[in-house]
Amino acid sequence: MHEVSIIQSVIEIVTKQALENKLTKINNVSLRIGELSGVMPESLEFAFDSCIKGTMLEESTLNIEIVSALGECKDCNLEFPIKHFNKLCPSCNKFCTNIIRGYELNINTIEGD
Amino acid sequence: MSEIKVVANILHTNEEITSQNKQLLNEKGIYVINLMSSPGSGKTSLLEKIISKLRDRIRIAVIEGDLYTTKDAERIEAQGVPVVQINTGGACHLDGKMIKGALDSLNLDNVDLLVIENVGNLVCPAAFELGEDIKITVLSTTEGNDKPLKYPRMFENSGAIILNKMDLLELTNFNKAEFYKDINSLNALATIFETSCVKDPDQGIDELCSWLSQQVNINSQFNQHVSD
Repeated sequence: MHEVSIIQSVIEIVTKQALENKLTKINNVSLRIGELSGVMPESLEFAFDSCIKGTMLEESTLNIEIVSALGECKDCNLEFPIKHFNKLCPSCNKFCTNIIRGYELNINTIEGD
Repeated sequence: MSEIKVVANILHTNEEITSQNKQLLNEKGIYVINLMSSPGSGKTSLLEKIISKLRDRIRIAVIEGDLYTTKDAERIEAQGVPVVQINTGGACHLDGKMIKGALDSLNLDNVDLLVIENVGNLVCPAAFELGEDIKITVLSTTEGNDKPLKYPRMFENSGAIILNKMDLLELTNFNKAEFYKDINSLNALATIFETSCVKDPDQGIDELCSWLSQQVNINSQFNQHVSD
């Protein structure tokens, strides 16, 4: 997908946060990426290494936490793991329309000096 | 060294602009479709058919997304409805900022239905909200029935799915039973239409148009109710 534009957005947000918190150098960036988001961690890492050159993030490492997908059944309120192709509630067998986790594309924490 | 908890959506800028777009479109009572598919599946042909059937009853406007050309916008313009071209210059999807610019060039007081024809691509457009009421994905029989499995997110997030080029079905190895089975496991609530734009008479277009006008009516009644 558009991993480069995602990383450019990460750099923008991290730089802004760093300046607000009076950091001059970023050492680590942690992302939370949902497993249904369609974003490949390997491509993010590749884009990150290429795009951080010449920025405050130049010497930082990237940490990616994959968030597993979770649905909640509207009938029985059961929370259960879902996949793209399996969204049936294990208890009542109804198709789950309430996806509560799995599309995340978030910056979680940054570390810096 | 200090750790800072950020918890920010990476696409935050898009979501912020998109929610402004959505608010404006809601205020104007406009029903908005984000029309997506791979290149060449027939989005523009379907739109031409829809416009010719509905333009006397519904005020339609179109935003055309395309990498470089104005070819699709010219076809829509020939149908006599307002159209705005967005050239992404190579970018693979439309985003909220582009839509905001396009909305500025439309007279939104005279629109009931706005169709945003996204860039032909089964991957990236699925991740970018544009402020639409519904995502509609078009798949053509010549692309093969394996596409929903291969590009799940777009089909998963669509309120309606149009299976186009039904006139060519028997010339392909498209397996309709497999297609319906996959869509059912991926997105059981999607409304599915089977269409052909070239068959005479065209196929499925009346059903699609009557469903669309129903959606537009429900939307305008809802907005009426909210403003009362």
